[in-house]
Order: sequence, then structure tokens, then C-alpha cells
Amino acid sequence: MRRPVLARRDRVLRGGQPLAFGVGLVVALVVGVFLLVGSGHDPLRVYARMFDASLGDPQAWSVTLNRAVPLGLAGLAVAVAGSMGLWNIGAEGQIMAGAIGAAWVARIGGGWPGPVLVTAMLAAAVVGGGLLALGPAIARARIGVNEIITTLMLNEVAIRLVQWLVHGRWKDPDSHNFPLAPMLPDNGRLPTLFERAHVGVVLAGIVIALFGLAVSRTAWGYELRVAGSSGATARYAGISLKRKVLTVMVLSGGVAGFAGGVELSGNADRITEGLSNGFGFAGIIVAALALMRPSGVAAVALFFGAVQIGGQSIQTMGVSSSVSTILQALILFGAIAAGVLGRYRIQMVAGDTVERPSTGAES
Amino acid sequence: MNPPPDDAPTATPPAVELSGIWKRFPGVVANAGANLTVRTGTVHAVLGENGAGKSTLMNVLSGVYRPDEGEVRIDGVVHHFRSPSDALAAGVGMVHQEFRLVPSFTVAENVVLGAAERIVRRQAVESAVGELAERFGLATEPDRPVWQLSMGERQRVEILKALWRDARILILDEPTAVLTPGEADELGRILRHMADDDRTVVFISHKLHEVTGFCDEATVLRGGETVAASLPVSETDSSALAGLMVGSSPVISERPPPVVAGGPKLEVVGLGCLDDRGLQALHGVDLTVRAGEIVGIAGVAGNGQRELAQAIAGLRPTTAGTVHMDGMDLTAATPRQRFGAGLAYIPEDRMGVGLAPRLSVTDNAILRTYPTHRRGPFLDYEAAVAHCQDLVERFAVRTGPLDQPIAGLSGGNLQRLLVGRELSGRPRVVVAAQPTRGLDVQGVKAIQDLLVAERGAGVAILLISEDLDELLTLTDRLLVMHGGRVVAEFDPELAVRHEIGEAMVGHVPTSSASA
Repeated sequence: MRRPVLARRDRVLRGGQPLAFGVGLVVALVVGVFLLVGSGHDPLRVYARMFDASLGDPQAWSVTLNRAVPLGLAGLAVAVAGSMGLWNIGAEGQIMAGAIGAAWVARIGGGWPGPVLVTAMLAAAVVGGGLLALGPAIARARIGVNEIITTLMLNEVAIRLVQWLVHGRWKDPDSHNFPLAPMLPDNGRLPTLFERAHVGVVLAGIVIALFGLAVSRTAWGYELRVAGSSGATARYAGISLKRKVLTVMVLSGGVAGFAGGVELSGNADRITEGLSNGFGFAGIIVAALALMRPSGVAAVALFFGAVQIGGQSIQTMGVSSSVSTILQALILFGAIAAGVLGRYRIQMVAGDTVERPSTGAES
Repeated sequence: MNPPPDDAPTATPPAVELSGIWKRFPGVVANAGANLTVRTGTVHAVLGENGAGKSTLMNVLSGVYRPDEGEVRIDGVVHHFRSPSDALAAGVGMVHQEFRLVPSFTVAENVVLGAAERIVRRQAVESAVGELAERFGLATEPDRPVWQLSMGERQRVEILKALWRDARILILDEPTAVLTPGEADELGRILRHMADDDRTVVFISHKLHEVTGFCDEATVLRGGETVAASLPVSETDSSALAGLMVGSSPVISERPPPVVAGGPKLEVVGLGCLDDRGLQALHGVDLTVRAGEIVGIAGVAGNGQRELAQAIAGLRPTTAGTVHMDGMDLTAATPRQRFGAGLAYIPEDRMGVGLAPRLSVTDNAILRTYPTHRRGPFLDYEAAVAHCQDLVERFAVRTGPLDQPIAGLSGGNLQRLLVGRELSGRPRVVVAAQPTRGLDVQGVKAIQDLLVAERGAGVAILLISEDLDELLTLTDRLLVMHGGRVVAEFDPELAVRHEIGEAMVGHVPTSSASA
């Protein structure tokens, strides 16, 4: 009796990840045919609409790009921490913290010139996100507290903080007692790039490129990757892990905060508790699909953004939101599963035991 | 060395008969038509270098692997084992190199685990296990939790497990690797005892004196094939066996010619430090290594050797004492400062400490020197690749593309890369912890030659090893550690193996305390 097992490839397939997206997409679309037919829709029309709405024309591209911005930056935040082996599960909260920082600057800087105000808002967003990550960073660096737990829990704190501000101190007196913050001043908005795309697309691209370069080519990034590969090896090489953990976690939080600032000033009218809308958690998937490489998050975010926008667009055709969400999930599952095959191959083995060549040597 | 008369009709069939066993793994042929015949009631040694196919053959015999070709006969009956439990049902039990015990369970609980009735009556089980142990002369306390036991005691529990399941054929995979010399002798007595009880023992080893000490017959494997089958041990000697194991190449490197040692390079005074559990691991260790000298540290694993190496390398905080190099106080220096001062360190744990497994060959080659390969904030990858290329060529590292992760390299090539990197910094002192462990003959030779060459160039070398033969061959002075102290010093040319063994378990013969 033979059964399949996964065996690690000696070498990761070149171009395996883009190929994986293609394969995953095709598989998901095929499976989706049954789902759509079963729920009474014409799969071809639905798929055509998904494509048109996300990548069909410049206007669709602009919407997709806008969506890719927070996804990419959140993915970058996770990937920067991840290249050192740290898990920042708190991008969601850090995005909100960044938005709080930016919104606060917008409240006091209504009279400032546009470029000054926007710059100050984005800077405050970075600080806000970084501050929220500072606690977990110190706890991890000093006494080894697991950052997964602390960053995850702080998500709630940040979201409640926004609720408290919106319901209380920042409530717009002209909102007829609705719990809404005031609209952003016009000079606090990011300029438009084309159609509906805002300048944040360019900013996000630059930030991702900078971090990608820093991690893969600089001495700082090298230390990060050594530490991510093995902490003991990093100590052996003379790398101070404490300082590294601190800076990387705070930077990661800062990047997520930046995403919050860009989203607020580029896409939203005002700060609301739904501003992030799960971008922080989606960022974990983005980073994982990019194999924790900062340089890969841009492409993944674009793919992810197109899937989201396309998926949402078909709801206007009467496709229920659950079917649309399942379809989105299928595409991502397909990509993740196909990605595994870039690193592993399927091998048929006999018997119950997993066989490995025993060399007698320990490694 | 005549081939054994196989298929000769005998009154009682042999306990074990493996014939024409082939086992292939991707890229490796582990067994290429290996044969093994073991007579009932004997202790049979299976010898071979690392990679000779011993473990694979034993895994075939114990049902872990299924052979691609070949036949397994137990007591004359052909078996097709699909799992270790099939083999156990046929009476074949295996004691693995890594123990498979539950630390928080007692000895008795571990012995009966998976082979007990549904309701375990503790006292009944304990006394039954105690009786079994007594019958085979296995000193053990059935009610003690396993985590409190020494390695030797744990091994006895593993043997008891097999006996409890009524194994008539017992396979022990390198059982003495974790034992003190005294414990190894004790094991030998136990195995003889079992053979006298008409059980059959297959004993895997590469320590020749044990084979000649308490085995009846020996089968030698090389390159997955049987090169000598069922040699009566009484009619051979260890050098003949060694010759069979390694073919034409010499067993161990020749003793390097003596070099007049220079002034002290590494001076350790009163060094103390804690182990990972926070217990005192070193109790005031003093040692000096002079230029052009290899000083060896022998000892049973877990007597502070590991901590000593880490403390000297700056990877473990010290609680007392000083470390000086060339008169410079390095007690408080960082690992990088020590490397800069000329201290190379070859750590015991290659993959987890000395190398970064997920990074490329190039990234690993510059682990120590990357601060010098810089152009502004950027790493100068052209220089890094050139440096890596140079290391790979000078130290004969066999590797794929330099930008691929090192995880694909073999153990010997990983160690060449690591040692080459450490030596390329022109060190004045080298601390080498288990530098040849787990390597094949060629790998061992290559690393030993590198260390001897460094010694010839006037480098002071501290060599920590569990391989006594290696220490006796390579070192100029041999220190023995026990319980976190240096308890004896020997002149390796005059030392008596037995006395070193005694010192390793803390019995210091007063006469040779300082030879």
C-alpha cells in the first residue's frame, strides 16, 4: 500500500511562488464553478465581473491599488518582524493606533498647508503604531514575553480606544448625536494619483522597496536574517538580540501605523472603528504568501487586493456575500496550497512510517 | 576472511538471517546487498563507519524500514515486517540510540507503557519489572521517575522494555555512545548474561575494544555491503577489524610530530559558570594552552565541557574567574571582541550555533566578518561572494550554488565551511568542541589535519572531544573533566586508557593525577 507524503525539495523552485498563485487561482475558479452553479449563478458572468471590477480598466485598477496599499503595508509590517522570526499579530491594532495619531494631528492642524499637514499626519501615524508595539517589544526583548500574545491583545485595546474617542471626546458636535468623529479637513487628504487611486500607492511602494532593500542587502538586514534563522547563531556572531528585537518590533508597528495614516488620509472621510476592517490580519496572510520576504509583499498585496475588490463587486449581481467570501477564501487557499508545492514535492511511500535516510550522523 | 557457509543446513537455524538486503533512499544507496547471519545465543557485533549502512540494516531487521530487495529470516522463517510491532511479535526488539522514554513516568511505567493491561496496578507492575531486571542483572529502581536517572540507567530501562515484550533478539544501536567506560563494561556483562539465557544480541558499534571485549562474532559493513561476515572475534584482533571497516585508508591520523610549545596563549583561571538549568556547571576550572600545542579535554558528556567552551567563547556568562588571551583580559569581552582578538570557536552545535540554516552559503561564510564587508549601510556582496568562493576552494567544501540555503549541504561540508571560516580569520587560539563528531572518515581526517596544521603554525588549540582515540592521537596534553572540574592531566603518549576512564568517572588515581 502506497500513500503520498510531502518531501522537502532540495532547492526551492525558481518562480515557484508566482506559479503557485496561478495554479491556486485556476483551481479555486474551477471549484467555484460548482459553488456558483449550486447557488444559481452563471459562473462565466460572475468571473467576468470579478475581473472587470478589479483589473478591467484604469478605474478598476485604481480601486484595486487603493485596497492593495493597506494590505501591502500590513503585510510588510508582519514580514519585517517575521524575517527576524518574530510574529507581529497586532498590525490591526497598530493600524488603528496610527490612524488615531494621524486624526489627532488633523484636529490640531486644520489650518496648516496641505503638504505639511499630510506629512505631519503620516509621521504621527508611524509614531502611533510604533508606540503600540513598544510595550510588546520591551517585554519581549527584556524578559522574553511572547510577542504573539501581547500584540494580539493590544488589538482590542486600540479598537476600543477609537470607540471611546468617537463616542466621547472626538464626537462631532454637528453629528446630531451620532457617534462620529468630524470629517477630515480637505488639506489633510492625500492627493489623487489617477482615477480614484491616491498618492499613498506610491508612498507604499517606496516604503516596501526600502524595507525590501534594507532586509536583503544591508548589514542591518543581514543581522536580522541571521537572528531569524537561529538566535544562538546570532549571539555567536556578536549580534545584540535585545536591541534588534526592540527596533524591529517598533519598526514593524510603525509600518502598520503608517498604513493606518495612509488609509485615513487617502481613503476614509473620518476615523471610525471600522477603518482597518481586518487589514492587519490579512497582512499576516500577505506576509506568509510572500514567504516573509519584504520584497515580495507588493505583488501579493496586489493579487490579494484584486481578489477582494473582485469578490465584493459580484455582490451587486445578487451573489450573496457568503458565496463571495467563500470564493475569495478558495483563491487564497489555492495559492497557499500551491505555494507549498514550490517547496515540497509529493512522494509516494510504502508503509506507515516516514522514511528518511539514516546516515548515522547527526546534523 | 572466508565467506560464511550460507545455506548450509544446520540443526538449528540462525536467529537472524538477512540476505541480499537492498535499501535505496533518494540519492543514497544505504544497503547494497548486505548480508547478516547471527547465531542464537551469541552477542554479534555489526561494525562500520558512519554511513556504512549499519543503522539502515538494523532498521530493516526491526521493521522500521522495508527492504527494496532481500529476505529477512528469523529463526529460519521468512518475515515481511510492516512495522516495528510486527518485528516485536517475531521476537525482535530494538534499543535505539536516542532513548524513547517518558521522563515524568517511573521506570516501571515506562517499561510497561503500551504493553500493559488496561488497569495498571502500580505495585504489581513495579515488582514484576523489578523481578525481570533482577533476572538479567539490570540494576534499576522501578519506582524512580526516569528524569532522575543517568544515561546508563535510562539505557537499562530501554533494554527492559524490549525484554518485557519478550524480545528474543535484541538490537542495540551504538549503545555505549552515551555511557562512561565503567557503564559500558557493565553493559557488556548484561549482554553476556542475556546470551547465556539463549537470547541473541546484535550490537552496533564502532568502538573496537568493546567488540573484542564481549562479542562472539562480528560482521563488518562498508558502503552498504558486507565485507566480512560472522568473523569469530577470538580469531581476529582490533587492527584487522579496523582495516576492514575503513578499507585501505589508515584508521586514525598519525600522531603529529612534536612541536616545541611556545608561551601561554590562552589562560583560564578559576572559571565558574552556570548551566542552562541555573546549576553550577564549572567549579573553578584552571587551564593554560600554549602556542603550538593541542590541549585535549576528555570527559563523559555533561561534565561541564560544553559550558567551558561556551564560557571561553563568550557565549555563557561567567560567575567567577578570568579568561586571558596573550595577557589580554577577555573575561568581559563580547563574542565579537574575542573573535577580533584572535579567538576562533568551533561550536559543538554546528547548525544551531555555528551556522544559520536558512541563510545562503555566502551569508554563512561572512557570519564572523560581515562588519568588514560593508559599503556604507550596505553589505558588499561582491566581496562577500569572493570571500565565500575563496573559503569553498581552500577548504574543499562541496556545495551547490552559493546563494542557496546551506541546509542542503552534507555534515562534512558544513563543518568544512564552518572550520574554514573560523580559521580564515588567522586565529591565535582555537576552541574546538566535538569538531569531528558525526563526520565520515574523510571528514574527520580533513578536520583533524586542519587542526594539526594550525598547531604547526603556532596556534594554541583547545580540543574538546568525546572520542578518546582522537584525543590520544592529536593532543599534546590531555585534561579530564568530571563534575565541572579538571580532575586529572595525562601525557597522551604514556596514558593508560583504563586510568583515563577511571578519571572520567571521578576516580582519580593519586599516582597519575598529574602525569
